Amino acid sequence: MYVWIWRHLPGPTALRVVEALVLFLAVVALLFFVVFPWLEPYLPFDRVTAG
Amino acid sequence: MPRLLARGVGQTLITLGVVVLLFVVYEVYVTDLFSGRKQDAATAELDHEWSAGSSAPASGTASPSSAASAASSTAGAAGADVVTVTNPDKLVTDPGRRTRSYETSAGQGFAKLYIPVFGPDYVYTVIEGTDPDDLDVGPGHYADTQYPGEQGNFAVAGHRVSKGSPFNQLGQLSSCDALVVETAADWFVYRVLPMQDETAGWKASAHAHCAGVAAGSGPYRGVFGREITDPADYAQVLPVPHRDSTAVPRDAQRMITLTTCHPQFSDAQRMIIHGVLVRSYRKADGFLPPELQES
Repeated sequence: MYVWIWRHLPGPTALRVVEALVLFLAVVALLFFVVFPWLEPYLPFDRVTAG
Repeated sequence: MPRLLARGVGQTLITLGVVVLLFVVYEVYVTDLFSGRKQDAATAELDHEWSAGSSAPASGTASPSSAASAASSTAGAAGADVVTVTNPDKLVTDPGRRTRSYETSAGQGFAKLYIPVFGPDYVYTVIEGTDPDDLDVGPGHYADTQYPGEQGNFAVAGHRVSKGSPFNQLGQLSSCDALVVETAADWFVYRVLPMQDETAGWKASAHAHCAGVAAGSGPYRGVFGREITDPADYAQVLPVPHRDSTAVPRDAQRMITLTTCHPQFSDAQRMIIHGVLVRSYRKADGFLPPELQES
């Protein structure tokens, strides 16, 4: 998968590195802002109330 | 072909590993940032509300707005640049004669919680409600429990790990440590009850700061400063802890209860802190309760 992405990134190597970094950061942002907040309530270490 | 397959599996596993690591980073650092912002916003809103003076009582001393703004300036650094009233005894009130002068709404801050032993900058705006969204902002008040200073139980839940971890250090509290609650018009000073191993032969006079703190007797027997319980143990936050009734007895004490998860990084159990009201003051211009100086 990563090889495929690398091959399809346009431009010279230096530009590709930057593009790959941007892609990675976009995925991290998606995880931090959307996926993890959604996932959190289902995990067993965050409940602090009694009852 | 097997080689391609092996590479695919390897990449997937590495990816999953990175995602799990990112989740740890998210829990431990990123939620702190998000919650810190929400807590700051809630605090600013509460300070604004208090300085507007809409809910401040006509105390007859200074103008309500200046009193409230002096109090709100303490949010960052208690004790700094604040004139302490020389005789705090004059401000001591009978909590039974104080009536709640504010309304609360879910998700909004209505009080501040100070725990001086955790340092002069330990202050959190307490939010109404214990839904996950409320607890993201700060410690949350169990909406069907009593309010600060009232007979019964002022019960508050807070995160121990992530979301700013307001209640991370509850395990370090000792008996008689002060839990100070500031509301629109009042200061309420609670103190942690004796621990289980201290109740036998408890003498309040034998410890510093313990005046007014007694080992639980009568219906309060078996209520300790710190308890580790089952997550379903809702009776901990009822007016008389452990007693399965929502009615507030006529002679009920004025309790505070803090709940958080236990052990750390798990929520298999709950840690419960019980305290009792020992003193209350009405707010006044430039006045901070002397209990805030304890460390």
